[in-house]
Amino acid sequence: MILLPNTSFIILKKFILRVGGACLVLFAATTLTFITLQLAPGDPVTAILGGSANPTPETIKEIRTEYGLDKRLIVQYALHIWHVLSGHLGSSFSQHMPVKDVLWQQAPPTLKLMLSSLLLAWGFAILSVTLSAKKPLFDSAFSSLETFFAGLPQFWIGIILLWLFAYQLGLLPPAGTHGFSSLILPSLSLAIPLGGFLAQVMRESFKTTLDQPFVLTARARGLSDTAVRFRHVLRHALLPGVSLSTWAIGALVGNAVAVEFIFSRQGLGRQLFLAVSMHDMPLVTGIILFISVIYVIASFLADTLYVIIDPRIQEARA
Amino acid sequence: MPTRHTATYTRNAYSLSALLVALCLPLAACHKNKHKQGATLPVSGGTLIYATDREPVCLDPHVQGDMPQVFVAQQYLDSLVSMDKSGGIHPWLASSWDISPDGLTYTFHLRSDVTFTDGTPFTADAVKANLDHMANPATQSSTAGGYIRQYHSTDVIDAHTAVVHLSRPYAAFLEVLAQGFLGIESPKALARPRDMNCQAPVGSGPFRIVRWDRQNKILLERNPAYHWAPPYALHNGPAYLNRIEWRFIPEPSARFAALQAAEVDAIDSLPPEAQTPAQHNADLWLLMADRPGNPTNGTLNIRRAPFNDVRLREAFLRSADIDGALGSVFFHHYRRAGGPLTSTTPFYSPDFEHAADYAPQTANVLLDQAGWSTKDTDGIRTKNGQRLTVHIPLRSSLSNSERTLWEQVQATARETGFDVLLENADDTSVNTREGKWDYDVRIGYWNTNTADVLRIVFSSEFLDAAGISGHHQNESGFSNPYFDKIINDALLTTDPEQRRALYYQAQKIVSAAFLQITTFPQTTRLAVSKRAHDIRLEPALNVTTLYDAWVEQ
Repeated sequence: MILLPNTSFIILKKFILRVGGACLVLFAATTLTFITLQLAPGDPVTAILGGSANPTPETIKEIRTEYGLDKRLIVQYALHIWHVLSGHLGSSFSQHMPVKDVLWQQAPPTLKLMLSSLLLAWGFAILSVTLSAKKPLFDSAFSSLETFFAGLPQFWIGIILLWLFAYQLGLLPPAGTHGFSSLILPSLSLAIPLGGFLAQVMRESFKTTLDQPFVLTARARGLSDTAVRFRHVLRHALLPGVSLSTWAIGALVGNAVAVEFIFSRQGLGRQLFLAVSMHDMPLVTGIILFISVIYVIASFLADTLYVIIDPRIQEARA
Repeated sequence: MPTRHTATYTRNAYSLSALLVALCLPLAACHKNKHKQGATLPVSGGTLIYATDREPVCLDPHVQGDMPQVFVAQQYLDSLVSMDKSGGIHPWLASSWDISPDGLTYTFHLRSDVTFTDGTPFTADAVKANLDHMANPATQSSTAGGYIRQYHSTDVIDAHTAVVHLSRPYAAFLEVLAQGFLGIESPKALARPRDMNCQAPVGSGPFRIVRWDRQNKILLERNPAYHWAPPYALHNGPAYLNRIEWRFIPEPSARFAALQAAEVDAIDSLPPEAQTPAQHNADLWLLMADRPGNPTNGTLNIRRAPFNDVRLREAFLRSADIDGALGSVFFHHYRRAGGPLTSTTPFYSPDFEHAADYAPQTANVLLDQAGWSTKDTDGIRTKNGQRLTVHIPLRSSLSNSERTLWEQVQATARETGFDVLLENADDTSVNTREGKWDYDVRIGYWNTNTADVLRIVFSSEFLDAAGISGHHQNESGFSNPYFDKIINDALLTTDPEQRRALYYQAQKIVSAAFLQITTFPQTTRLAVSKRAHDIRLEPALNVTTLYDAWVEQ
């Protein structure tokens, strides 16, 4: 154990390391975005003017000047970093609007989609694991179902759900971003494989915990099997699920691209795809930074949740 | 208009979905689209939900200038003049005009009772502000600005008389002015920064833009003061619809499913695989028309072998069974466009529709004559040890159906001994290759309402790189002083008969040079719920207009 006077120093040090790490992640994201877009073939001016139209030479010159595309690469990079540092995300040239406005408009639908998928996935994982672990027949049946779910590609689930619930049964809208009903199928497409993954990692831990002596103690106190599972064992199984969820945040953004396309949904994923194909540096940077920030926040939240779920972790780390 | 590549980025990205859905379409059981029969008189009120594939990048059609922009612009902008189906020019915001004998000065006499939806009156200053705006490089206009390269200046004589000066005669001037791309916006709104004007431009049209929710929809509301409808409209006065919800559903099958489920009232870019189910659906009606201009085509690069030899060009065109391919790829829903102009273009002549029909025997003879008489073990013709290879870059935004069409061309051309290589790449890489003339066939189209498109696509004026990655509008490399003279002479006269004769000559010259495999016309393809009536296409570009439209309540 460490003595009290040092504790605040340790916390400060941890905080600085944490913020420093976050800054490094954001800087790396900005630089990598710049390099990747520079390496991609093609001229952004063609993207701005819509491919192959009929512009006058003066128009083309004007565009190069306006977006600084006439400057040397190193100058462009310095400006790019400077803009990000000074908090100016700039203006998207493919959308003709400030990047922060694009984020303001496109982030909520994606965040809604991610959140609802995460909730659905957790709901499925908790129920599937808690109700079936170490129960004859159920255990292997649900375990196989989880493996099956985890192996399904999101876009494929999306198409099947679309076909069944929108085209054949006509129960849910096939496209759009209009209220709760249009959120169901896209969320399910993302939640089903994620739920499978979550359940797989939680099941292992759940089963190990069921063998612990304190479970026997709890049973001896007369608790029902369900109560033991939900109140005592589940807490232990949550930890691997929480750390997997941090990773899942990143994966959800990636997979949102496909799902937002299939369901013609508004959102950052589809916007990112468009921005990359248009070589829209300010917008790509803005979206990547936004996702990185979400990621940093998610990993911070996961650490906090860890401690809440299992206070022993704080002690071990100190 | 220019974006000469077709379709949406989504069609490829998720081609599997399109395929699956195409297979499943006939089974679809969700026809919830019920309507009352017998309503015939227009009723005012209600909202019409229109779903389209591509979202504009800017709602001001002067900026850039791609087809999705003009579709929205047609709802909230009016033009100086209008065009009828046969190419005749009629008044709209300009009640009359005089053209000087030298063709350099156009005097427009304007209506005095028109107001923009921001309250600004429509005057000669507005005409000046708009033409200056299109020509200003800072506007980033590639369509409107490109069409009025001849524009010099505008003099405001009085509030209702504007004199427009051109640097050289341009007989197609009134025709391009009739396009929605050159629609007239409020000068007060135009004075705002470009990107702000892009969000909510202001016109004098039957609707005004209320809100644009990106990647979702645009909301438009009726302009209650409207009473200056164009002559082709069915009524005058305010539009019948209270509101328009203009939604974006890029995925073709999802768009059609949304229509079948009555989630939306009308869709455009009806996918070809959905046309038969749409025809058999008693709750739907179809509205289709070809857009004028240079039809969808593959343009042959004559700057390098093999297509620097006219015999090989003719042989390649005659080796490609376009009619057969259209039948199998588009379920017989697309007709062939055989000549350099789509049949809806003014001064189109049908005489060139069959100038390069499928004739493999002729192709074989031509290839033998040109010295490509031997075949290697693959059945590919050779000459001096060289294989007869044709490189065709396919951009990733090309629609799946058009991709399949070119696979069929590949297959039929192989029978006469061409080795056709379809080379897939992303759009920007393909643009770069095109800038370097690194292709044998270039796939594209050009929508515009004037035969002057032939000048943009084939005259030597458009050979030089405009500057973007060396991009050039004349994709074939065709350079013929006689053709140049004819196509420019056609701009010197406003006499329709002289123009007709000159454009006939122009079509004849390019047809005889075998510069393009023309495939099918660009088409506006709408499927509409029977609840919605009188959705129409304006005649200049065959773009949707909802001014006369009304919905059963």
